[in-house]
Amino acid sequence: MVTVNQKELIAKEKANNPSLLKTIWREIRHDKLALVSLVLLLGIIITAYSSPLFIDQEQLQRVNFLETWEKPSETHLLGTDDGGRDVFGQLLLGTRNSFTIGLSVTLIAGLFGLTIGLIAGYFGGFVDNIIMRIIDFLMVLPSLMFIIVFIVIVPDYSVFTFVLMMSAFAWFGKARLIRSKGLAERELDYINASKTLGTPSWKIMVFEMFPNLSSLVIVNMTLTLAVNIGLETSLTFLGFGLPASTPSLGTLIAFATNPDIVQNKWWVWLPASLLILVMMLCINYIGQAVKRASDARQRLA
Amino acid sequence: MSLLNVKDLQVHFPIRGGFFRRVVDQVRAVDGVNFELEPGETYGLVGESGCGKTTTGRAIIGLNKATGGEVLFNGENLATMNGHDRKKHIRDIQMIFQDPYSSLNGRKNVLNIIAEPLRNFERLSPKEELTRVQNMIERVGLSPESIYKYPHQFSGGQRQRIGIARALMLNPKLIIADEPVSALDVSVQAQVLNFMREIQKDFGLTYLFISHDLGVIKHICDRIGIMYKGRFVEEGTAEDVYTNPQHLYTKRLIAAIPEMDPVKRFEKMELREQINVAYRTEYDSYFDKDGRMFDLKPLTPTHSVAVHQGGM
Amino acid sequence: MVKFIFRRLLVMIPQLFLLSLIIFVLAKQMPGDAVTGAFMGNPNVTPEQVEKIREQYGLNDPWYVQYGAWVGKAVKGDLGQSYTHKQPVTSLLAGRVANTITLSLFVLIVSYAVAIPLGILAGRWSDTWVDKLIVTYNYFSFATPLFVFALLMLFVFGFILGWFPTGGSVDIRIESGTFAQFMSKLHHLVLPGLSGALLATFGTIQYLRNDIIDTKLKDFVKTARSKGVPEGKVYTRHILRNSLLPIAAFLGYEITGLIGGSIFLEVIFSYPGLGQLFIQSITGRDFTVVTAIVMISGAAVIVGTMLSDVILSAIDPRIRIE
Repeated sequence: MVTVNQKELIAKEKANNPSLLKTIWREIRHDKLALVSLVLLLGIIITAYSSPLFIDQEQLQRVNFLETWEKPSETHLLGTDDGGRDVFGQLLLGTRNSFTIGLSVTLIAGLFGLTIGLIAGYFGGFVDNIIMRIIDFLMVLPSLMFIIVFIVIVPDYSVFTFVLMMSAFAWFGKARLIRSKGLAERELDYINASKTLGTPSWKIMVFEMFPNLSSLVIVNMTLTLAVNIGLETSLTFLGFGLPASTPSLGTLIAFATNPDIVQNKWWVWLPASLLILVMMLCINYIGQAVKRASDARQRLA
Repeated sequence: MSLLNVKDLQVHFPIRGGFFRRVVDQVRAVDGVNFELEPGETYGLVGESGCGKTTTGRAIIGLNKATGGEVLFNGENLATMNGHDRKKHIRDIQMIFQDPYSSLNGRKNVLNIIAEPLRNFERLSPKEELTRVQNMIERVGLSPESIYKYPHQFSGGQRQRIGIARALMLNPKLIIADEPVSALDVSVQAQVLNFMREIQKDFGLTYLFISHDLGVIKHICDRIGIMYKGRFVEEGTAEDVYTNPQHLYTKRLIAAIPEMDPVKRFEKMELREQINVAYRTEYDSYFDKDGRMFDLKPLTPTHSVAVHQGGM
Repeated sequence: MVKFIFRRLLVMIPQLFLLSLIIFVLAKQMPGDAVTGAFMGNPNVTPEQVEKIREQYGLNDPWYVQYGAWVGKAVKGDLGQSYTHKQPVTSLLAGRVANTITLSLFVLIVSYAVAIPLGILAGRWSDTWVDKLIVTYNYFSFATPLFVFALLMLFVFGFILGWFPTGGSVDIRIESGTFAQFMSKLHHLVLPGLSGALLATFGTIQYLRNDIIDTKLKDFVKTARSKGVPEGKVYTRHILRNSLLPIAAFLGYEITGLIGGSIFLEVIFSYPGLGQLFIQSITGRDFTVVTAIVMISGAAVIVGTMLSDVILSAIDPRIRIE
């Protein structure tokens, strides 16, 4: 029954009702700064993720004592570190690792926070009360210290447990946000209508309530992506993040805990610092454009 | 046997207070309501805002939990059923909501909105589903091409028709209409009301019609129950209530309907004066010492009033 | 009001209890304990002797007895012995706590001194170039990770320009108690303090700007204008009075951020405070000290949040309902 005619109809209505993704793209195109940020960020990410094609990771990690602390030159674009390893290569691999980890934490924490927030917001009352008491408590813990303590005492420490630790302390803000919007949505009659139509609770949460909160979730996820990349590199910088064998942007910056390196061997840590700065700013400008796209009153386009 | 029989329905909300958030008092939103609906009739529930009429409707369909009493639907008590058993009966009761804007999910197109009940209760192929939705959308007076549109592309009256189409999809027996036209323009109200009457015949529906608008109620209802502070004050046919109101509160309500004829306006003003005097002198025969209404007492086989035992 | 304060205080008790319980459980998970730490690497002590001392210290008791003893001691101010520093944790912490509080206060004062005027400017002249400049700064301060910013500050102002010392909290060559020492302390404080403060302005600026933009369109402000109140007075009398008050209350909520921030600032600027000690102790496996620092920080955040809630409820009665 889905004839050509039907397909045409569907296409026409799709054009009249652009998806959020399309609206975001339109908004970014109209904001030069966001467009530049997007191009720059994509450039960095694509270079970083394709780096294994032209960098031999094993060779990169090999210690070469004849070439320690070399200044930037043609053979080593950004010089070498204490083990004679190429800084530029580490920078690319580090960007890739940091971004992957930041993204994983954002997704895991986002999914968990979303689930908890939806449950609290949809059911309200007693369920909401219990969940909020727990979140109130978690919010007052000094999270950075707890993450570090957990990292130190966890057996079989790996990248995976590292991501889990960070996620464990990154979800409650989101849950609270989703919950407060959810409580407002739950009072609206379309939720009541679904209940009277016999739709099960989980379906109402996922297919009715969630789509109405999705723009909020996307905005929040974009902005926290930056925060989580910052968290990973911060922890690695302090020495409680990725193991030395897995370079992160934080690993390179961690060299800067030594005053001599800060002052005289700037090529090791400065490029990584600036790269983080640029990435954070790009993600934020894109995030602001996404935020405007999700709110019809603020759109530039 | 009546289709719906509500017996001594109570919906109380706790008020928490004090240091440990104990329950210190109850809001008696619905406090002992009795009425019956015969198949095919339209029963109007009228009262001022906050009188509990909406809560009554919501308690029948299960959006609010009844704290006491029975809701017998085809002889089965819905009030004490758990969610699973309830679901079997709930497809026979549907609801039309007041606000045509918030009652449709803006993120779904019309096809998905109207097909939602079908997907919950019947397993249909996409093709069958599409045919049924298209038939229904035509039946409620919208073009079948509009099923891929989104709610914001429709006017208030059209949206309410979509809401009605959704409610009709499962061929329900009882429809609870909670102020279905009060959010619409007056010109559109009549259209939707007439349309509701039309489908009542075609689908053999029974309506529980909740409204604060006495004009609308008079236009569409066979029998009427007047509610005040969570209780019934008077119940009867439209004729009984409008021409022969017995309870003080009903009299006041009827007297408050604006009069179009300038000649009669002074009569009406005098009538209101009389009622105000009566309110002061005869208060005790309508309300007990706590200000609560008495139970309904039959006056004629169709007409009952809440007055003190032993007459007026 | 009194009722609210009382209930809020009551909520704090289970929070403190839970915090201490979690920290106790974590402490048990940490490798080694007070005894193994104290005798580690001492070949003259046999395992049997160690076991005897463990028994003496009550380390073989059931966990709730140990927990009770730990809490009892902690309340009296006995937080155990640090084995790397060979001294009671309490006296070890005393000086560090003072340094961290000084640094945090400096960060707070500077960040408010920067954020409040900027927030007001951006709100009052919204959508002008001044506002755009401030908003851009605000994006920057939100997006930049503290450790990157602090390192850049250290590199530029400490090493390249050499304006400020690059580590420590005071020049130890200067006689203590003199004015010169105070100036030296201040000199050491500026760089870490500024690094923290310039990034801590985000919340305040954003709140003030949004609140002023919202308020200046409200009816009571329009009324004031139409009565002929001069524009300057409209702001001081009608808008700022409403917008500034809650900022005082947010102070307590800032503590979490300050504690997290002090870790980075103190490590990067080698500033001898709690944060630096925390990292040193956890790297040196001195877990008695780690436990004590986490407990103190957690309690500080709990108390701070409570104070903020109470102040906020005094300012805005609507919050009290819950």
